[in-house]
Amino acid sequence: MAYSELIKDFNRIRDYMRQFYVYGFKTRDEYDAKSARSYDNERRRIESWLDAYMSFRQEPSGRVSFISIDSTEVPANPLYNAFKAKSFTANDIVLNFCILDILQPGERMGVSEITETIDEEYMSFFENPKVLDEATVRNKLNEYVKLGILISEKEGRKLLYRRSEDSVDLEQWKEALSFFSEIDPVGVIGSFLLDKMREHPGYFSFKHHYILHALESDIICTLLDAITDDCMINDKIIPYQICLSTENGRGYLLGRDMEAGRFQMYRLDKLQTVKKGAFAPQKAEFTEAAKAFTRYLWNVARGPKIEHLEMTLHIEPWENHILQRLKREGKHGVIEQVGENRYRYSIDVCSAAEMRPWLRTFIGRIEELSCSNPEVTKVFYEDLDQLYEMYEERGGDGNAVS
Amino acid sequence: MLFHEIYGNYFNAVAQILGEAVRGELTEKKIYEIIDSKAFAESSLNIPQALNSGEWPLLEENLETPLLNEPQMPLTTLQKRWMKALLADPRIRLFDVPAEGLEEVEPLYRPGAIVYFDQYADGDPFEDEAYITNFRTALQALRENQKLQVDFTGGKGGNHNWQCTPLRMEYSLKDDKFRLIVCRGGEERVINVARINRCSLMEEKASRPQSIARPKRRVLLELRNERNALERAMLHFSHLEKETTKLACAEDANVDAAADRYRITLWYRSEDETELLIRVLSFGPMIKVLEPDSFIQLIRQRLALQKRIKRDGSS
Repeated sequence: MAYSELIKDFNRIRDYMRQFYVYGFKTRDEYDAKSARSYDNERRRIESWLDAYMSFRQEPSGRVSFISIDSTEVPANPLYNAFKAKSFTANDIVLNFCILDILQPGERMGVSEITETIDEEYMSFFENPKVLDEATVRNKLNEYVKLGILISEKEGRKLLYRRSEDSVDLEQWKEALSFFSEIDPVGVIGSFLLDKMREHPGYFSFKHHYILHALESDIICTLLDAITDDCMINDKIIPYQICLSTENGRGYLLGRDMEAGRFQMYRLDKLQTVKKGAFAPQKAEFTEAAKAFTRYLWNVARGPKIEHLEMTLHIEPWENHILQRLKREGKHGVIEQVGENRYRYSIDVCSAAEMRPWLRTFIGRIEELSCSNPEVTKVFYEDLDQLYEMYEERGGDGNAVS
Repeated sequence: MLFHEIYGNYFNAVAQILGEAVRGELTEKKIYEIIDSKAFAESSLNIPQALNSGEWPLLEENLETPLLNEPQMPLTTLQKRWMKALLADPRIRLFDVPAEGLEEVEPLYRPGAIVYFDQYADGDPFEDEAYITNFRTALQALRENQKLQVDFTGGKGGNHNWQCTPLRMEYSLKDDKFRLIVCRGGEERVINVARINRCSLMEEKASRPQSIARPKRRVLLELRNERNALERAMLHFSHLEKETTKLACAEDANVDAAADRYRITLWYRSEDETELLIRVLSFGPMIKVLEPDSFIQLIRQRLALQKRIKRDGSS
């Protein structure tokens, strides 16, 4: 099949984009591609979509392609382009423009009339016109009804189609769309809306901006729809909540596995396909249990029991920003002053081990650390010893870790 | 649901081309300009060919079209549902958007369906009237290219009154805060929107500098891929400009698993150095800073302090 920069299926390209963007050190031979040509085609597509953001370097083992983006410098998420590359047939594009041109506001027509009009007033324009039969036109009309672009109405025994009403003033939404298209988990929809406009506000920028979630937009969109409508997904999971990290961009679904009879966090990047299923009448009876499941989470990990952790920090009077950090980052933990310049932070969590990266950010002021799970403090102090060793300066210039 | 050709760049580019044709203003040059701005790098090889060859019978050789009206597509239900969901977001009040046209649809999601489990707890007061007024004034200044007079309380409590040129409105999802980036005295300065007491538009138009140099610093890290550190670090730092090379791989039978190592170069802004320092520290011994010396010294200082605190505490 000839190469095209458009794609029919999103799953295969999603993985390549993730690899190019997140990792970016693999050579052509290291991809698990079915064939070298498959890799070449996917790389070429991504290059075409992300033109300015693809980089290359030559290594002894081969050429490495990677996507490198400082996300504070891009006003719009370039990864959304992948969702704007869906392939289509010639009939799709011709019917799109002809149908919408015929069904101007106020017009209502049946499928036969629309088919005739296309044939007589549009295709007759061309030397080699396209022959579009009524069944093809009907399929497209019904597809557009499902998308909400058209409305079908019965008049007697005849089904008439008209354009749906659209009184949204997009111009007044322009700034909101520019903002939410970047920060909302399904902001790609906002990006589609912005594409309808000639000019976009270019004065928003975004810090700590994890743009990779864009690649899961379709998954998240289906999940949100299923959550709103209280429906199952994939025939066995009741979805409750999308849980996202602002510190690494990773996302999870909190769902109840009805076969296993328990709640679980599903990584969004591991969900290949999500299918909205039937209404789940049992959802309401587990709502409180869903809240209970997340009550003592630090991030997303569950342990066998609730663990208690205490950390005492040395904070000088002029270091109010450290206290502020504890308050804003410490979640449901409690802070109390326990002496001169000494503050104790204590918390009950499902998995204190999950807190270790955050605890390490206070290195330099930790006076005491204790946990009901001794493994947590053991690993913490072993890691600390390794750090001392790693940065130990031999020869001594006065800055050694001693 | 959202992976559909009607949202695609090809449809958007062709819509604009046909719009120009309906107005009788289409030229060959314009076709390529539109494709260049609306579609992908290789689209200029495909779209003109499909239109010219009659594969997509929508445009004649003389650049006329049978379409009678400029193409316009009503919003899809999905687009409306998403916009309706935004109406329940406290930040939407900053933008004063009309709700008209969305009455008939259900929101795509409701408050509570999405949670950011590690977002900081001291986000901006998006529903505070004074905050909204200041935000909108700053946004108006950006939109209309006006200078601003800003009275604000600095991070250390002092009061400031600046006349400045607004450059950007920056938002951090992690902090849940807006910061107004302004130009003052030829330098970029940051004002937290929540710290603005009052701001007003000045009559003077802003002469926005073409660009203000924002040099980046570079740090070279070595990562030991244990406890899934590679994936965690790659995601954690993915929003920065970065380059990664593999030093040795455990899949190689001759190499011990402990030697699965990677070099990561990150580029960051000087004002973010302390934040980057603690983020590197959060990886513990999985990441070692190799360069520059100044960054290594910052790590050593923290470790030395920690050693001293522990020693003093146990003595």
